[in-house]
Amino acid sequence: MIEKARSFIECMYGMSVPAFFITNRKLFIMPEEIQDTQKIFHDEVARIKTLSEAELLKVKYLGRTGVVSELMKVIPKLPVDKRASYGKQINALKDEISKILADHINRLSLEKKSSYKKEVFDVTLPGKLPCIGKKHPLTQTIADIKDVFARLGFEVVFGPEVESEYYNFDALNIPSDHPSRTDFDTFYIKEDVLLRSQTSTVQIRIMEKQKPPIRIIAPGIVYRPDTVDARHSFMFHQVEGLLVDEGVSFADLKGTLYQFIKSYFGENVQMRFRPSFFPFTEPSAEVDISCSLCSGKGCSVCSYSGWVEILGAGMVDPNVFEAVHYDAEKYTGFAFGMGVERVTMLKYGIDDIRLFYENDMRFLSQF
Amino acid sequence: MKISYEWLKDYVCFDLSPQMLAEKLTNAGLVVAGIEPVEDDYCVDIEITANRSDCLGFIGIAREVAAMTKGNIQRPELGIDISSVSDDVSQFIKVEVKEPILCPEYTARVVRNITVKPSPEWLQKRLKCIGLRPVNNVVDITNYIMMESGQPLHAFDLDKVAGRQIQVRKAESGEEIVAINGARRVLFHDMLVIADEKRPIAIAGVMGGKETEVTESTKNILIECARFEPRQVRRTSKSLGIVSDSSCRFERGTDPLGLDYASKRTAKLIFEHAGGEICKGVIDVGAVRNEAKKVVLRIDRLQKILGLEINRDVIPDILTRLQFKILNYVDNFIDVEIPSFRGDVSREIDLIEEVSRMYGYNNIPTKTSISIRGSKKSKYETVEDFIREILIGLGFYETKTFSIVNYAFLGGGNLWISEGEEAVEIVNPLRQEESVLRTSLLPSLIRVKMHNANHGYEQVKLFEIAKVYLKREKLPHEKNCLSLLEAADFFEGKGIVQLLLKNLKIHAKCEWVNFNETRLFKNERAAKILLDGKTIGYLGEASKELGFKTLCTLLELDMDALVEKANFDKKYRTPSPYPMIMRDFAILVDEGIAWASIENCINNLEISTLKEVHYFDIYRGKQIPEGKKSIAFNVSFQSHDRTLKSEEVDNESDVILDALYKKLGAELRKQ
Ligand SMILES: [Zn+2]
Repeated sequence: MIEKARSFIECMYGMSVPAFFITNRKLFIMPEEIQDTQKIFHDEVARIKTLSEAELLKVKYLGRTGVVSELMKVIPKLPVDKRASYGKQINALKDEISKILADHINRLSLEKKSSYKKEVFDVTLPGKLPCIGKKHPLTQTIADIKDVFARLGFEVVFGPEVESEYYNFDALNIPSDHPSRTDFDTFYIKEDVLLRSQTSTVQIRIMEKQKPPIRIIAPGIVYRPDTVDARHSFMFHQVEGLLVDEGVSFADLKGTLYQFIKSYFGENVQMRFRPSFFPFTEPSAEVDISCSLCSGKGCSVCSYSGWVEILGAGMVDPNVFEAVHYDAEKYTGFAFGMGVERVTMLKYGIDDIRLFYENDMRFLSQF
Repeated sequence: MKISYEWLKDYVCFDLSPQMLAEKLTNAGLVVAGIEPVEDDYCVDIEITANRSDCLGFIGIAREVAAMTKGNIQRPELGIDISSVSDDVSQFIKVEVKEPILCPEYTARVVRNITVKPSPEWLQKRLKCIGLRPVNNVVDITNYIMMESGQPLHAFDLDKVAGRQIQVRKAESGEEIVAINGARRVLFHDMLVIADEKRPIAIAGVMGGKETEVTESTKNILIECARFEPRQVRRTSKSLGIVSDSSCRFERGTDPLGLDYASKRTAKLIFEHAGGEICKGVIDVGAVRNEAKKVVLRIDRLQKILGLEINRDVIPDILTRLQFKILNYVDNFIDVEIPSFRGDVSREIDLIEEVSRMYGYNNIPTKTSISIRGSKKSKYETVEDFIREILIGLGFYETKTFSIVNYAFLGGGNLWISEGEEAVEIVNPLRQEESVLRTSLLPSLIRVKMHNANHGYEQVKLFEIAKVYLKREKLPHEKNCLSLLEAADFFEGKGIVQLLLKNLKIHAKCEWVNFNETRLFKNERAAKILLDGKTIGYLGEASKELGFKTLCTLLELDMDALVEKANFDKKYRTPSPYPMIMRDFAILVDEGIAWASIENCINNLEISTLKEVHYFDIYRGKQIPEGKKSIAFNVSFQSHDRTLKSEEVDNESDVILDALYKKLGAELRKQ
């Protein structure tokens, strides 16, 4: 019974309750118990921090069913001689509690009011951003490609953009009547001088100067007289790679490109090699990666095949070695080339190649 | 090349869905660009690489499919004995080849008394499936056999061939022909034609003539099946602007042993579907049977190139399936005879490719065992990356613009070339307005600035690192440049140059000289920059002509010169533990005295305790006499081995003032 009453009161006030409060039905409330109440009150007041706590305490002690009125209810049931002094003591207690609580409430509400007026430091306001610029996305891609291959020991080399036919065609085993030599496919400056249509020219220039082993990548601009549209540009960037050494095989080519593809496009990407034809490599391959947009299920980007082509590669044709006086029986090598715009478009989902050369801030600022 | 899925089954048995077939073909190097359902068939579009002319016919593709599926190829039976039906062909036509190099072989058959009418349903359907328009039975059959065999054929109305005589000769300049497609062309003497007694009746290998084409009234026909030199056909087709299924095939080279089959098969089909009688025999001019090519393939070489351990029986199996003939196989060596239709195979490496292609590129291992090797970043890359990082940190956006530019636009920005010097010009530009290689990057940056201003971005800060092209004897000089544009004044721009020079630790003597030789810059607000006496760049405020709304500064620097002078060696120096003493100066000089001469004058004194001369202000106004200016600067002094005394510094200050007075007439400004 007592336990039940205690828990009921605890529920009402949400705090522990002095024992006398529960035993009041026994009608033996003594002055010591008034002192106990007083002591407990002082303890509780000392712990008040906020206005609402103070108000809660006021209800607890001075409310209609509060501690003080419960004590009052006992008076009529006391022996007559004790009633007056007991009542006096309770009233004194009540006055004391009222005054102390009023002081606290007054003070706390003043504090609360003044805190409204004080300026609040709003840490959620936006910061002041310093302006930094951005690398062009094509520079970023070239840097990423260089990074991967530099870790595999490839050195970055450059070559001229205005070239002789020898470096752009002859030395690359491209026959003299090959259609790519016509002025539909190559920009000419004059007889025998042209704008390179591929960065493979750099392979020859390097091999002429150095003996194997060779491990280079050559990023750069190339030109083809293609009418400009969303997919074509008369000027674009390529990265060419070449590795020549003793005992280099097609399997090494696959391994090297797989390393690159995983580093650049992510661990989960699939790679596919397809036979193809380039005059300066044999066997030649085109390399596809699984379409990241549809994860291989098929979409408009991959023409519903699940694969997108990203580079051309192959084993260096013996005729190319002959042009640079390498012993094709002793040395073997592989070469690969990729379009920087194409790779960048795939990686970032850019749908128009012209955006790269327009340099609109709304485009550049996104990279 | 477009093929019909059902039609292909005539030549090879396979159990593959169109999609599976496409995947197999793609993995063998015949990339399928698309599959399209056509009625109850599929049109499969295959991209044939330039070397594989043998795959420009159904039989060639069937050969690949047979090799991949280990199936067998079925060639249609030639059936009837067409050699004993009628009079001899020589009674009806004479053929003379005047250009045996350009036309190595020419064959003619004659079919008489035929009935020209629409082709049977099945044939029309097959042609339509691959995008060909049916015409009549004779024309359709020549097209059909071309698609089947890859060998182009042409049928003439024999009765319209004047003199019943065929001549394969060079055209006479000015001769005209109307081709079957209606195009009238004037021919030149370097083109090859098929002519009768009077006139050209076909452009050899490209297209037949309208006048001798087969029509509904045609009774007797001549079937031409020939071989033409690829280059000749390509040139003629290009210069006349006529491209046909026939020219595409001749351009890439046809099977030298393929004529007989195609010719007989055409005659037979025409006989079956147009009736009449086939004349006995064939006129065959120029048939020379070269001996088949033989190539030796070494197994160890193949394994070395591919990085693959391969079973020795697999190799001859693959080659045989592709119809290469194994003559001999001993130890490491396979003697291989190359079939006539594989003009692209002539070396060992070509055979290695054939084996790897059929073995499957995706079955070759992916090795990552190449040896370790270090790589070094070149000085050029280091400097370029360094500058790029600095500029990006300063808020500049990098651009990429075209190096082929508009000539007029370039005219305003001649920095690296002098008046009258020409830019490198393209002979065959895409657009006449953009036909030269740029000699400065600035005009392109200005365009980018204007583009962005039109979209509300006025305060852009831009830079580009790219080449300019300066005309030289053979190949131009390609100079790497850094170009920069920002909404700022001259001295903010100069600050960037000095910041770069300082951080690249370029200690060479840098001079700034007034420059008024380009319309890009505002007069009097531009400079040429020299390093050790050599011009390395130009800086100036943008001319009003450019129409910018805000003040703008343009810069172009020679990157190669910066790379040459840049110095990345770093050595730590202990700072002096002794205090630094400063003295402020305000001097009166003539308006014409440049700051640089004041600075040089002080530095030339070689005062050992002098640490730095630091400009801070210039003043012209009330208390300053006309034609003079007041320049304020301070000089700091410090020693590495002792504390400088005040009197010592005062003495040095007097030395400085004395020198400035004597050399430049400078006076200490009285307060
Ligand atoms: Zn996709």
